[in-house]
Amino acid sequence: MSTEAIPAERPKRNYNALFGLTLLALLVLLWVILSVATPSFASANNISNLLRQGSMIAILAVGQTFVIITGGIDLSVGAVVGFATVIVAMLINAGVPIFLAILITLLVGVAIGMFHGFGIVRMGLPPFIITLATLTSLRGIGLLMTNGNSISINNDAFQMFSRSSFLGVPNLFWMVILVGIPAYIFLHHSRWGRYLFSVGSNAEASRLSGVNVQRTIYMAYTLSGLCAAFVGVLLASRIGIGNPTQAEGWELQAIASSVIGGTSLFGAVGSVHGPLLGAFILATINNGANLLNVNAFWQRIITGVLIIVIVYFDGLRRRGK
Amino acid sequence: MTSTAQELHPAPTLEPGRTILELKGLEKRYPGTHALKPVNLAFKASEIHAIVGENGAGKSTLIKLLTGVMPRTSGDVIWEGKPAALATPHEAMALGINAVHQEVVLCRHLTVAANMFLGEEDSRFGILQQRAMVREAQKIIDDLGFDLPAHVVLGDLTIGQQQLIAAARATVRGTKFLIFDEPTAYLTRKEADQLFTLIRRLKGEGVTIIYISHRMEEVFELADRVSVLRDGTLVGTRNIAETNDAELVKMMINRSIEQVYHKEHFTPGATLLEARNLSGKGFENVSMTVRAGEIVGLYGLIGAGRSEFVTTLYGRRRKSAGQILWEGKAVQVNSEHEAIRLGMALAPESRRDQGLCLNLPVGLNLNLPIYKRISSNLLISSAQEKTEADRQIANLRIKTPTRNALASSLSGGNQQKIVIGKWLAHGAKLFIFDEPTVGVDVGTKAEIYRLFSALLSNGAGIILISSYLPEVYELADTLHVFRRGKLVATHGFRTADHEEILTQALAEKQEKPGGQI
Repeated sequence: MSTEAIPAERPKRNYNALFGLTLLALLVLLWVILSVATPSFASANNISNLLRQGSMIAILAVGQTFVIITGGIDLSVGAVVGFATVIVAMLINAGVPIFLAILITLLVGVAIGMFHGFGIVRMGLPPFIITLATLTSLRGIGLLMTNGNSISINNDAFQMFSRSSFLGVPNLFWMVILVGIPAYIFLHHSRWGRYLFSVGSNAEASRLSGVNVQRTIYMAYTLSGLCAAFVGVLLASRIGIGNPTQAEGWELQAIASSVIGGTSLFGAVGSVHGPLLGAFILATINNGANLLNVNAFWQRIITGVLIIVIVYFDGLRRRGK
Repeated sequence: MTSTAQELHPAPTLEPGRTILELKGLEKRYPGTHALKPVNLAFKASEIHAIVGENGAGKSTLIKLLTGVMPRTSGDVIWEGKPAALATPHEAMALGINAVHQEVVLCRHLTVAANMFLGEEDSRFGILQQRAMVREAQKIIDDLGFDLPAHVVLGDLTIGQQQLIAAARATVRGTKFLIFDEPTAYLTRKEADQLFTLIRRLKGEGVTIIYISHRMEEVFELADRVSVLRDGTLVGTRNIAETNDAELVKMMINRSIEQVYHKEHFTPGATLLEARNLSGKGFENVSMTVRAGEIVGLYGLIGAGRSEFVTTLYGRRRKSAGQILWEGKAVQVNSEHEAIRLGMALAPESRRDQGLCLNLPVGLNLNLPIYKRISSNLLISSAQEKTEADRQIANLRIKTPTRNALASSLSGGNQQKIVIGKWLAHGAKLFIFDEPTVGVDVGTKAEIYRLFSALLSNGAGIILISSYLPEVYELADTLHVFRRGKLVATHGFRTADHEEILTQALAEKQEKPGGQI
């Protein structure tokens, strides 16, 4: 009966997995080329370094992906990271136990995410606007709190965490796994994950099907804020300071990682493994370019070109050509 | 561009009755399907040629080939005696082949005038001559007899008015061959009449019209000839004077017309829902009851307040006055969630805007209302997710390669089955169907009507909204007529004739007081 129906897209899940595999292949290919091209790339030291560099953007990209799947965007994540470094640094220096300091910082991230949800759901602001507003104000609040200075964290144990490894793998990379596995289960195997997709695809249809659209939107931005605050804690541990101007432009790297990983900015298309791979592809390019002594200005250009190329080919595949 | 007014009257290059376009063995294969089997058909200059067939019979494919949107697999198209490649939409337009689609494909944020001249703007030294274009557009619109302003933003008009603009736009481009794809699906009767006037006038000016519709009475009202497609094959072409409804339906579906409106009568049970003097945005003071085992039909024109009424029952909109009783108890339905919990289900009017997540899999769409039930605590049971989706696909005979195919890849009728199917597993007591058969072929219609009976026999009640009178007339046990937000008349099953009901819905002067309540 439905003749138009048959030249249909291939089943979606298979397709996603396939795309994930090609990204993985691209990452492996980059590693092989760089191992041959530079003697230092394959060293244990450099690989650890690479994993550390990619980890924080990877975690940001996962939170960002939840938001993008609902058809939104979270421009605030870089600012939240910077703000969180200030919060956690101040709390630790004030003698608050590390565990509690981290917990409070994460709650601040949750609160920022809830605020975004409030702005979108209750005030009817576009996600771009409300998160753009938070981006600039949070940096301002952080600067006010620190008088524009960096806060040195006087706690060696806190800083040791990001420098240490477990089973030979940097702790920061373990954090990606710690976030990635629950995120994967949440997005692909829980009903809230399904609702993220359905709201991103058609909010009205979801609503009429009994999905609580508002709660779903709150949830997406809250998770993104939580991921960003968590990255803020990791960054503070790594650099040993709290500084509101840190992580400048990380929101764009997170969005780029997500999009390279196959997330559609129109919503309803995305995964967890995609943005993770995207983040490490970007990290690899930067790392490799450094080792090859490529001018830092060129690195930015190469990254930009790569985003265009990957997303262009992704679009071609999507149209089934 | 200054000659637009003249282009409105394209000079007929052929005398009426001569062949303008001929299909010779035109064929289209997609990977896996034979969408159009070799078709031989000749269209005459200045005829209105209707094409009817079920969804997926090959009508859309034929349009796509003729307008150059898709390349054909084999065969020839002869345009005015010469073979035409029709490789691009541009080439088709250059020949004078144009199409007006069911869904308006214009820019909603631009003015009517800007839309009419989109792509052929009048400019001097690179500056748009906006006022001149508005004047020009207004002249064309007035000339066509549409009472519409040219300077307003298109999105401010109703869908029906936008459709008229789309039709007007097609006429200003030196069109010789104009395809209408279900143009009246969203039009009021008055707008449809205006469109028909335009179509007849174009015919008078020598334009060949291809008219695609599911509505038989329009075909008989307008067309000179009619061709029937079934499963990608041209079943036959008839002169309209030499055929009738029954024959066409039989050609389309290989089945007789009596079998379409499947109606079983059940003894009504307890009252499920009662609305008492309910008012809200778009309707006022509406009272009615729905009992288990009955179909309550709501008939009226588009915009008569029926959809607003049911979406208020469903908690999507706020009521401003009145009361809703569910199984005898007064309830506040403040959200869709609440309505669903009580046992209501709504299959909304627009599949695309309200019914489906088009770029998501069929299975996800079917399971959307029941994810809570098929998850244990945190995780979805993927086994249940599969069986539930496959069960609905099998029961409703939804034609899809797998449950993972995207909803957008299905034909209209099959998409509608998803919209309905997602509520079957959920198990509601009151089903609200808002225009469930718009753009759905006869075969699927019959399946949907059988489904109604199955729901009723299980003790459910149904509210059926339709702007297609034969449908509510043949199916509803109680028929309410809406006009401009008010419930103006109520009838039992087949107790009034079509004319009386239509009159009440239209509020003509000859309104019969006997039909009032």
